[in-house]
Amino acid sequence: MSLAREVYQALEAVVGKRWISEDEFVLAGNRVKTPEVPFTYHSADAIVLPETTEQIQEIVRICNKHGVCFVPLVSGVSAEAFANRPGTVLIQLSRMNKIVEINETDRYAVIEPGVRHVQLYPELRRRGFSYTAAAVGPGGSVLANFTSSSGDHHNQHNASRSNRYLLGAEFVTPEGEIVRTGSLASGAGWFCPDGPGPGLRALMKGYFGNHGQFGIITRIAIALLPCNGPAEIEQEGISPYHKVRMPDPCSKVFVFNYEHIYNVRDAMLKIGEAEIAATVLKYFYLPATLMMTNSADEFWEKWEGGYKEALSMPLVVHLAPRSEAEMEYEEKILLEIVEETGGKRIPREIEQWWDEHMDFFMIVGRLQSVLRLGGGWMPNKLASDSVSHICEVGASVNALLSEFTESGKLFDAPENYQIIPMEYGHFAHIEVLIMWDRTNPAAGRGVGEYRARSRNNDIEKSFHAETPGSLNVSTEQIGPLYCDANVWLRKIKESLDPNNIANPLI
Amino acid sequence: MHYPENMNELREIISSARERGACLVPLSSAAPHIHGGSSNERAETVSFEKMKKIMAINRHDRYVRVEAGVSFAELLPQVKAAGLRLNMPFLPRSGKSVVASALEREGVLLPKYQFDYTDPLLNAGIIYGGGEEMRTGSAAGPIPMEESRADMVSPWGPGTVDYMRFLMGAQGTMGLVGWATLKAEIAPSVSRLFFVEADELEILTSLASELLFRRIPDDCIILNNVSLAAAFTDGGEEESAAAAAAASWTLICRICGYERYGEERLNIYEGYLRDCCREFGARCKNVPGGGETFAEKIDSMLGECDSRETYWKMRRGAVEEILFLAPPSKAAAITKLGIEALKAQSEKDLGIIIQPQVQGRAFRVEFELMHSGDEAVAERVWEAEKSLFAAGAFFDRPYGKLSEFVFSKDSNEVDIMRKMKKLFDPDDILNPGKLCF
Amino acid sequence: MEKLKKFEYSMDSCNHCGQCKWILPPKMSGWDFAEICPIHRYHRFDAYSGQGLLNISKEVITGKLKIGEGLENVLYSCTMCGACDVNCKNVRDIEVLETIQSLREKCAKEGSAPESLKSLCANVEEKGNIYGFDAEERFVFLPENFSDDETSENLLFLGCSVYTHPEIALAAIKLLKAGGVSFRIFKDESCCGAAVWRGGYADKAEKIIKANVEKLRERGIKRIITPCAECFGAFRAIYPRFVDMDVEVFHISQILASLVEEGKLRFAPMEKPMKVTYHDPCMLGRLSEPWQPWEGEIKPFGRHEPEKKWRRGFDGVYHEPRAVLKAVPGVELCEMPRNYENALCCGYASRKTDPEMSADTAAERMREAASVGAEELVSCCPFCIDALGETGKTVELCVLLAGQLEEGGAK
Repeated sequence: MSLAREVYQALEAVVGKRWISEDEFVLAGNRVKTPEVPFTYHSADAIVLPETTEQIQEIVRICNKHGVCFVPLVSGVSAEAFANRPGTVLIQLSRMNKIVEINETDRYAVIEPGVRHVQLYPELRRRGFSYTAAAVGPGGSVLANFTSSSGDHHNQHNASRSNRYLLGAEFVTPEGEIVRTGSLASGAGWFCPDGPGPGLRALMKGYFGNHGQFGIITRIAIALLPCNGPAEIEQEGISPYHKVRMPDPCSKVFVFNYEHIYNVRDAMLKIGEAEIAATVLKYFYLPATLMMTNSADEFWEKWEGGYKEALSMPLVVHLAPRSEAEMEYEEKILLEIVEETGGKRIPREIEQWWDEHMDFFMIVGRLQSVLRLGGGWMPNKLASDSVSHICEVGASVNALLSEFTESGKLFDAPENYQIIPMEYGHFAHIEVLIMWDRTNPAAGRGVGEYRARSRNNDIEKSFHAETPGSLNVSTEQIGPLYCDANVWLRKIKESLDPNNIANPLI
Repeated sequence: MHYPENMNELREIISSARERGACLVPLSSAAPHIHGGSSNERAETVSFEKMKKIMAINRHDRYVRVEAGVSFAELLPQVKAAGLRLNMPFLPRSGKSVVASALEREGVLLPKYQFDYTDPLLNAGIIYGGGEEMRTGSAAGPIPMEESRADMVSPWGPGTVDYMRFLMGAQGTMGLVGWATLKAEIAPSVSRLFFVEADELEILTSLASELLFRRIPDDCIILNNVSLAAAFTDGGEEESAAAAAAASWTLICRICGYERYGEERLNIYEGYLRDCCREFGARCKNVPGGGETFAEKIDSMLGECDSRETYWKMRRGAVEEILFLAPPSKAAAITKLGIEALKAQSEKDLGIIIQPQVQGRAFRVEFELMHSGDEAVAERVWEAEKSLFAAGAFFDRPYGKLSEFVFSKDSNEVDIMRKMKKLFDPDDILNPGKLCF
Repeated sequence: MEKLKKFEYSMDSCNHCGQCKWILPPKMSGWDFAEICPIHRYHRFDAYSGQGLLNISKEVITGKLKIGEGLENVLYSCTMCGACDVNCKNVRDIEVLETIQSLREKCAKEGSAPESLKSLCANVEEKGNIYGFDAEERFVFLPENFSDDETSENLLFLGCSVYTHPEIALAAIKLLKAGGVSFRIFKDESCCGAAVWRGGYADKAEKIIKANVEKLRERGIKRIITPCAECFGAFRAIYPRFVDMDVEVFHISQILASLVEEGKLRFAPMEKPMKVTYHDPCMLGRLSEPWQPWEGEIKPFGRHEPEKKWRRGFDGVYHEPRAVLKAVPGVELCEMPRNYENALCCGYASRKTDPEMSADTAAERMREAASVGAEELVSCCPFCIDALGETGKTVELCVLLAGQLEEGGAK
């Protein structure tokens, strides 16, 4: 299928000949996402690369006029960034890549969608700031991280999810109006997301983002966090053997291993109450081992050579205080809590890797190495509640997964979940990572069985675990269990997008 | 007047109002009501004075869940008894509804714990104008609330919409909130109170913003001498003397230590505080102008509600407020402009409260025009508000005439808001005309 | 099995993460100079990237896309610089560049390579150089009194650039002689074949390579020294695919670095201090890592049987050119953000197939050099010098060093 000539020409008139294509070989770059998405997407009819909000507005209006669907995307790392029905135009925002402003006094940065983590992070760091960068690697879009993905990251213990730091925003509605939210709407700048009156910020993101279903977000301000480390990070070595060391006294990493998640829970809560540490993280042991190795073969050697046991229930703690006295104070409290809760320091040769690779942004950038195992993979559960409840959900994972790992349908790593506390232990986020052999059809079926079991388990046990996402089949299924979240999403969608053309996932 | 006792009754009231074509205006707090109710003639009041259940106080996971009618005076003793503290406004009136305060995005005293403008409000139970019930955040599901194993504290969602934000600042126009969950914080084991003074307000706003960015103080608020005296004395000569003794501007901040090595933490954090004050050229004291006893009184009143017979802001008889937000770079300049615009107001009756919020990323500025029935005050306020708006003040919860003025500034935003209002309140029965709809 | 199909595992393992387009986090420096893929930086469509070419390859082997219907535009826009491969392999076990190479081979085999590459191949086959100059004129630049050591086991392989950059060859000769290194030159030297191979003409490349290696064997050569990055990369990483190389291969910078360290070469101070930056040529840096053959099976969860040694650009030549530069008094070496294994390509390789992209890439690289305050950019690849020299001041390493050689050269 291809676009009607008049539509193509109208779009071409907006962006210019160079920035639109319907060539098959160009479209091929945006219609396959493997291996975690086992199905084939539709091919887009065209890809357009606008450069301004006004161009997006025109494109959206053309799409409305002709009933053409559109899907906004930047990097394409998200499974929602593809054409899911015929007659779709992809609006790729990589040319909208300006850092509009870094306001050091009011501590926010205004960015366009095409700005990537690897661009923003160093700009902020050299000014003494940090922000909530997700583990998507250097090319991930910061804006998409804040507005479309779950937006969780690994330094949430003394901070929070990216949701908390999304300030003023500008977006183009599915019908092509440019809307500004919060203080921006009143001409008072970017600093506040809400008001006047009710906050339209509500539409930008709930627990997850809506992947353009309510319009295309063109600029956002994000709140900045303090960065206690040096402005420039010293690195040594050549890929993949880079090392990064933080100077004393601003950084020290500890990795403890625990017998049971409930001991981890106690440690998390106590560390939170003491208000120490920058990072507290019950990490998944499979990615942890992958991050520390440089090939699947090396992974297997280490995994089977003791890492699986040494990291079976790891608690990673990063202390990043501002002075030696504070480091001493935090370390004393940390070790006391770990002693009380029964944690054991892992072997130094493993723990050392963390010290040699800290900064955390770089470390988690390596999370992409889960695909080194070449298998299918899928995050599961993805929810937050209190540390206590989320650890209760975590405690159920082993039994759930074991049935599938023992039969060989899923990778044998039944404790493979992470729990990230946030806001000094007020909440925690859980993510279970399941992996399977994509070449084995039985394993593929096992994924579906596991997901159904997992969901039923949550319902039977009254867990807040697998929650609704954007408007799709899964949300339609579980929405009724969550105060009809699917119905409300549909109502909002219909109200904002009467032609149902903005990334119509259903 | 309606007096629902639970969510079912609240739903029935809404259904009935829809059938009868009546309008409903929520009332959660006890008098006095500074910003007034609805002017709509069809309006019936839904009073929450019978929804006073304290549903949960959880020390382990640090939250409280209360019905909309619960006031600060009712909740605070129980929170304290549990070893917790609330992140609450500065000396609210005792009958003020805890839930309403949070929904109105009132400034809070512990901005260090405010990661977002919505803090400390986490989630809520609502009946929308169409009669549908919703629970937000992790209270949403997956099953009946009573059976959930979750603590129901997470604020986001359900799904891809942050429903809570539609309700905040909405003044009851989107739905009626029956209960809400709020964060609570551990009560410190030890603390030290400091009074930081400077002649220039900008020094204190910059300092407060920096201190909070580094998360050094717990309680943190800037008061002018009039507010300081009015809030912490019982009026009369005591108030006048305190106002005269106080610096023009005082930043009150408290650093805290918790269960483990509390004193050690205090020493380290006091060091940071004093270094920071030196860096900014501010005077850091342990005792304010009013002396040691006054310091002790302030220490005991921070984090409390005002249970005195007359609310401190109403001591002259009445008060008109100007409330807005400003970023650190503009807070002091806009405040000064406000003072200039309000020069007709007697200086001794112009209280100013500047609360750093969201870890120092914004300031909530309140002008308190205390008076005894001066009719010119309202007009004075309106003129000042227009000047402040032009200078970049952000009126995030505008009332009355100001509301119309503010909403007229961005028609596209208002269009979307009206669409949302239509979804949540299809018959337009909830506080109609209060905002831009 | 068709060669391209062997890389289906790689094609299926890409999840569009974008690591092939962006600098590795330890190298990050800011908003600017963060992109690593020349064609994606210029064209912006995802198809123009390592990821895109993996996707295209998959559709080619499944028959969805046909060669000859336009995909050559993307395929031969690619400079084959290998940055995508290094960056992807930082977190993955994916053969990005080998897949692109195989797609090129398929394309060339089906006669769909661009005309410019066809004529390049013809030049090499007929005249022994990529330009089509007369083979007899290869060494006309050598002075009459030039002499080499015909008994030496060391071959100075000068490469096709002797036609366009005789000054590099002369400088290399001067430096080696000053350092007391014996060498010989093949007067019948012929192209190394790198460009032919990279163009996708594997069969033709194989013939060239075998002929060259036969010559080495016949003449008792034990060591090759070359000042050309392209030739060096070919000998280390392409030749072993076709023949057993029992010859040691050195880039001249490696020899010079040893001579400097041993005190056998010294340089006079610059007339005035000069700030320079060093541009890592792709074929000297990341792409010169020695070839590692692997035949085997990929088991579930990525196990390679037998275990696979991955080429990730780690073992390229990075340090020696820098070391000799630093040995010149008055030269201040400053680093560009994109350096070592993350150096941005100069764009030369696509000069004929995507000239606008090529020129834009070179300009971008020179902008990066200027951003760190470099007055001149030093490199040791004649093609980089050509490409980059069009938009800024460049100097070839040997040329710079030879110009500063202290009177007498050797101690």
